[in-house]
Parts: sequence; C-alpha cells; structure tokens
Amino acid sequence: MVEYKYEEKELPDGTKVKVLADTFEPGETEPGKEKIDWRGRLFSRDWKLKYLQTGERYWFSKSWYGSEKRKNPA
Amino acid sequence: MAEAKAVSVDQVTIEAYEKAKGDGVETVFDRVSRIKPCPIGAGGACCKNCAMGPCRVPAPKNREETPEEKAKRTGVCGATAETIAARNFARMVAAGASAHSDHARGVAETFLKAAKGELKDFAIKDEQKLYQLAMDLGVEIDDRDLKDIAVEVGEICLAEFGKQEGEIIFLKRAPLKRQEIWRNLGIAPRGVDREVVEMLHRTHIGVDQDYENILMHAARTSLADGWGGSMISTELQDVMFGTPEPVAGRVNLGILKKDHVNIIIHGHEPLLPEMMVIASQDPEMLKYAESKGAKGINLGGLCCSANEILMRHGIPVAGNFLQQELAITTGAVELMTVDVQCQMESLQQVASCYHTKLITTDRRARIEGAQHIQFEEERGLEVAKEILKMAIDNFANRNQDRVMIPDESKEMVVGFSHETINYLLGGMFRASYRPLNDNIINGRIRGVAGVVGCNNARVQHNSNFMVMIKELIKNDVLVLTTGCSAMAAGEMGLMTPEAALEYAGDGLRSVCEAVGIPPVLHVGSCVDNSRILMAATAMVKDGGLGDDISDLPAAGAAPEWMSEKAISIGEYFVASGVFTVFGVTWPTTNSEAVTKYLFEKYEDSLKGMWAFEQDPVKAAQMMIAHIDKKRKELGIDKARERILYDMEKRRELDAA
Repeated sequence: MVEYKYEEKELPDGTKVKVLADTFEPGETEPGKEKIDWRGRLFSRDWKLKYLQTGERYWFSKSWYGSEKRKNPA
Repeated sequence: MAEAKAVSVDQVTIEAYEKAKGDGVETVFDRVSRIKPCPIGAGGACCKNCAMGPCRVPAPKNREETPEEKAKRTGVCGATAETIAARNFARMVAAGASAHSDHARGVAETFLKAAKGELKDFAIKDEQKLYQLAMDLGVEIDDRDLKDIAVEVGEICLAEFGKQEGEIIFLKRAPLKRQEIWRNLGIAPRGVDREVVEMLHRTHIGVDQDYENILMHAARTSLADGWGGSMISTELQDVMFGTPEPVAGRVNLGILKKDHVNIIIHGHEPLLPEMMVIASQDPEMLKYAESKGAKGINLGGLCCSANEILMRHGIPVAGNFLQQELAITTGAVELMTVDVQCQMESLQQVASCYHTKLITTDRRARIEGAQHIQFEEERGLEVAKEILKMAIDNFANRNQDRVMIPDESKEMVVGFSHETINYLLGGMFRASYRPLNDNIINGRIRGVAGVVGCNNARVQHNSNFMVMIKELIKNDVLVLTTGCSAMAAGEMGLMTPEAALEYAGDGLRSVCEAVGIPPVLHVGSCVDNSRILMAATAMVKDGGLGDDISDLPAAGAAPEWMSEKAISIGEYFVASGVFTVFGVTWPTTNSEAVTKYLFEKYEDSLKGMWAFEQDPVKAAQMMIAHIDKKRKELGIDKARERILYDMEKRRELDAA
C-alpha cells in the first residue's frame, strides 16, 4: 500500500495545519531496480478476488458481459 | 562472404558481422548465400511421406497447365498436388503446435511439483494469477489452502494436454460467437496431444486425401496450441514467476560488458533462466567473480528465454535469432546456455573459435561437441550456480585483444501483459479496455496489429519488421509484438514512449502520450501470443467493436517468419478470426487450390484468412486496408456529429 506523507502548511491566519503531501509513486524504473508492483497492492485474497470480478470482468463478472450481454444474457 | 551492409538494417549487427568475418568465422549470413532454397520444397510440392517417393509435383513455370498435365501431376500413390501441399502445411502446423505445447508440458510438470512443495527453488509468486486460473478452471477457492488450489490447478492443466474428449477449457475464454463458430465447424479442439497425433495420422500415406478436410484439422490443431498449450504455458509461468508489468530494459549486443563475466541465456523456456537470474545476484557468486578479476556478472538473453526474463526482471537482451552467433563472435561471452528451439547447430563451431563454452541444458536438445549439463528442477538453483561458476572460471581465458563489443544498445519499456494493459488503461478501480475501444471508435487509433515471428536469413535482418511496424504506427495502428519481432522493434528504438513522438501518426501519438505507453507494445515470448488472443477477446467483450475477434479492426503479420512454430501461430490467429499476412515465402504456392483455400475460403468458415506479401510496405497496406474494411463494417469509418438529445428527441426514440 502507498505510504501517505504529510507536510505542515500555514493558513493565512497563521494557523499551522497538516496536509497530505504528494503520494504518487515514481513512474520510471531502471534495469535492475524495483518495478511498479501494482498487483502487489492487492494484499488479501478477498481484494484479489474482488479485483478479478471488476478488473477482469470480461471473464469473471456475474452481472456484466460487455457487448455479449445483449445477445447472451448471463 | 556476404556484403556486411546487406546483412542487416541494424548497425550493431553489421559491425558484429564484420568482426566475425575478420576473425574468419562462418555465420548464418555466409551459409545463406551459398545454400539456395529448394524451389520444389518451398512451394510444398515435395512429398516424402513414404518410401515410394520422394515425389515431386511442381506446377509448370510461367505457363498455364493443361487439364491433362494437371491430372498427371500426382505422387506414385496418386496423391494430388493439393493433397501434398495441404499435408506439408498441416505437418508444419503440427510441429509448431508440438514445440509450444511440449514447452508448456514441461512448465506444467514443474508447476505441479512446485505446488506440491517438491521443488525448493520454485514457488507461487503471483497469487492473484493463480486465483484467476482457478476461477477459469472451476477450482474452488473459498478459504482453501493456497497449496491445495495450486495442486488442483496444476493437475487440471497437465490433464489438458491429453484430453481425449470434449474441448480444452480455455476455449471458453474466447468470445461467445467465436466459440459457436468453432463448435459449428467441429474444430473445437481436444487436448493438443490428440490433435497433433491425429494430424500426423491424417497426413500419413493413404489417409486423409481431401485438402479441405486436412486444412480444417490443421486449424483445429493450431487452436489446441494457441488456446491450449501456449496459453497454459503463459498462465503457469505467470503464476510461478510473476505476471509481467512495465519495466525498463535494454537490447542489442552492446549490453555485453568488457569487464564483466558475460553469460548468454538462449532458448525458450524460462525455468533455468529464472534460476540464473537469482544465482547471478548471489553475493557469494559476485564475490567469486571479483576474485577472478571481473567487476561483476552480466546476464544477457537471446530469443524467447530473453523475452521471459526481460519481461519479468528487465534483464537485458543481446539480440534475436540471427544475432546468436554474433554474440559469441564479440569474443566477450564466457558461456552460453541453450535449452530448446531456434538454437543453431553452428553455435558449437563458432564457440570453438573463441573461449566461449556452449552448454546444452535439456535432454531433448543436445548439440554435438557442446557440454551437457542437465537442468533438473529439483536442484534448479544448484545447477544454475554450477553453470555460473563455469562461466566465471572461464573469464580468465578471455583474450581481450579479440574482444569487440559494439557500443550501442537501445532502451525499451516492456512488460505489457493483457492484465497490465487493462490496468494501465483504467487504473486499479476501473481497469478496462474501454479507453482503447473508445479511441478506436473515435478514430485516434485506426486499429490494432500483432506483428510477431522470427528472423529469416533470406531477408535482410530486421528490415521487414522495421519497415512494416513504422508503416503501421505512422498510420495510427497500435502494434502488439512478441518474440524476435519484439527484439527487432526494440533495436530500432520503437519501444519507448518517446518513439510515439517520432514515428506515430497524430492520433496514435496522442493516445500514447496520454497513457504513457510506447506505440509498439512488447507482449512477451512466442508462447505469449496467447496474450494477444486475450487482449483481442477483452476488446470484443468490452463492446462497441462487434461481437467476435473477426469483427475487430485488427490484423496480424510475421514478415520475417521461418519456423514451423510461426505457421502454427499464424494458423491459430486465422482460426480465431484474424487476417494474417506472412512475408518471405509461402509454403503452398505450388497448389493454387490450397493457397486459395487458405487465402480466401477460410474466411467463409473461420472469418479469418491468410495472405502472403514479400514487400513489407505492401503487406502493411494490406493490413491497413483490412482494418479499414472492418471499420466500415462497424460503421466507425466516418466521423459522426455528436448530438445532445433533449426530451423531445428522447420521446421520439421511445416512440420508435
């Protein structure tokens, strides 16, 4: 999971507040360095199965089959 | 000796070939100029399936054949030129399907052993892909132990090869309409073992003597490869080693390092290469290399073993099929391992001119004179370390005066599995092929092309790939590529996002810029052509582009093909509904009827067909013309005015 970073800012009235800083991940990898492991963010079995039902819905959704729904309802 | 500039469009290859020539080493580029292809065999007019022959039945050159002449043009057994050409073609399909599927069987066996915990060096790396497979195969997941799920998945996959009845399970991944087409034609395949055996039986003397019947079974056999053997291989490799994700890599002979121990991993299976990657990072091995005077260990891949470890680890690629000998003639390679497929027998002769050790690692593929170290998965890492140590020990034998490493290697971004394309287009919470389909519908992307296959020494190295791919992307066609074709695209600098700025048409460029992808996507090794089938299916299922793969504005090509595997791949693409153009030569030209059947009549039944064109620009234009035809059929060939419907118009719609 992404580790959230915070930074301290000052409001016009001088009050200090903690706001969410940049949370994006570096977009570039180099040979041998760690690559972007988007699949690794799905850390539990439940999440993995849910992703399959939504992300890979073309094959695993129970309620939506894209263009094929019209002719072959589930 | 060949003229150096004529051998390749790649300057690195030209330089390396000049070095080989200077060293007096014969390579494929020299042999091809002294061995002419047999014109009778090239056109499929030679039958050597029994001892009454070989029978040669060539058509007369440059004139019409009379009916009497045609009637006499048979083998001793009476087999017509049509039967002979169809048999030869079908046997190429069977051999190619066997190669992919025997590779896959090895992977499935290793997977099952790993799942059972019998292999200490292999494990389940991609749990999600395992669940994906389990759902496809009907394996219960619930709260079951991961090991139990994996064992059941492995057992089902292994049983698929020898399935005697019914149809292979992955067929149900295809669009529903496509499945119907296969079932109606009676070509939904059983296990690949059965289809290949039946293909060989049918093409034995005196069995199937109806060329159309032979060719329909060739289609069935190829489907058992594409949606069976190859797909099983891709899927299980992903579970064991990880589903590819975007990673940066480098390609070409310039990846070799003068001060490192250089090891080339050549072949097709990823099992040993995966172990070599781990072993090469072992601090003890690195220390050992340093103790021998090297600054480190440098792994480089060749052919599809390279693609496997490039896609998953970013390990650099030394080159494609025609560069295998040139890697050794740099004088900088301590050791080359080979496993199966596309490794030239001449490698040992070339290696003997230098200090390079050639190691065969698979009992199915030995080379006379080469040292054999059997890769046993039970002691995978141990074998890898043994080989690595041999390479390190050989570093001292390198003659630095004979070393010439070309300066150049190109950057590329690879790892575009169909899952990753899906994720990149939509993100974690709305992964989708919708943006691709939308951009095809709105015309920014004209269509999609799969450009795959081998190198062939009969044409200038990489030239057909370079010309064809540039022509396609210039015309806003997104290119998916695998195998040696992918390496060629990498060597030409077409696999970075920046390449879109230089080479792609405005529409494709705008999409590549928005998503951050290259205009040419590296999808993997030759078994990973199954990923292209899955991507095409996802496009169909997402909607808006018809309800079958044959409806998509898409085409396939192998402009430098040479192997039987390429014919099997082409055949399963055609049998899945894709217009597929091959270059270099065509193996049924001796029979007009067989060629016409493959090029035209296949379309009536399979909705996909073959074509042949040597000129890569013309071939690309044929693909674009097919894409445009499909766009017209879909009604997306013209820009349409966007209309905002008010209530009145909606009521009109309802009334209608």
